[in-house]
Amino acid sequence: MVKETEVLELQTETLDQIYAHAKVEFPDECCGIILSDGTREFVRECRNIQNERHAEDPDTYPRDARTAYLIDPNDLIRVHKEAETQNRPIKALYHSHPNHDAYFSDKDKADATAWDEPVYPGAAYIVISIYDHEVKATKAFAWNETDMDFEEVPIEMNRET
Amino acid sequence: MAVTVRIPTPLRRLTQNQAEVEAEGDTIESLIENLEASYPGLKERICDESGNVRRFVNIYLNDEDIRFLDGSATAVNDGDDISIIPAIAGGSSDGERD
Repeated sequence: MVKETEVLELQTETLDQIYAHAKVEFPDECCGIILSDGTREFVRECRNIQNERHAEDPDTYPRDARTAYLIDPNDLIRVHKEAETQNRPIKALYHSHPNHDAYFSDKDKADATAWDEPVYPGAAYIVISIYDHEVKATKAFAWNETDMDFEEVPIEMNRET
Repeated sequence: MAVTVRIPTPLRRLTQNQAEVEAEGDTIESLIENLEASYPGLKERICDESGNVRRFVNIYLNDEDIRFLDGSATAVNDGDDISIIPAIAGGSSDGERD
């Protein structure tokens, strides 16, 4: 049976944390990973190294951090290790679109897909639209096995019990 | 040199769904060749046509990104842990709206 995410349940505390992160990084994009042990969610803020890569190699990385993100590989391995050793699989990945709306852009889609498949199957992508330090909208997108494409999934908020 | 290699989820169908496989090689480059011999198709996914590790693929030797070591020439020793982890990236697009 193909497992599809029909709705993304998130704790309100998780959303509060990622919104705070988006505000701190504004006007740059923030990025991070949300782990879950099935009961609790763990927000792991990651460093966006897009500015460094853009400065080193603007031909390969034409965008700076205002319109792109790249998670620091050191943060990535750290969070992966935590996910494995603490049994907290990756539930969702998040990033912000400063001064842009909450859509899954062509770049988001291209970077989330490799070898004709989703790079992180099972993980939802959360996009936060933030204008002038204020969160305007948040949307989530997940891979749909039937349509072989990323599609929006509704976010449902839960209070931590 | 026998080492353990962590395989990312989307590539596990090439490794019979194994999350970890054993491989041999003195360098990351020879390790990738050895992986390819055991699991055909892995190399072209990890490396581009010129044989360089793809931009969106991170390879770690004992949790160190090989970009900050010697890249694919990085020496591998018995018992090392290798992880292959796809990068997480994206960004907005100017002019694109809901």
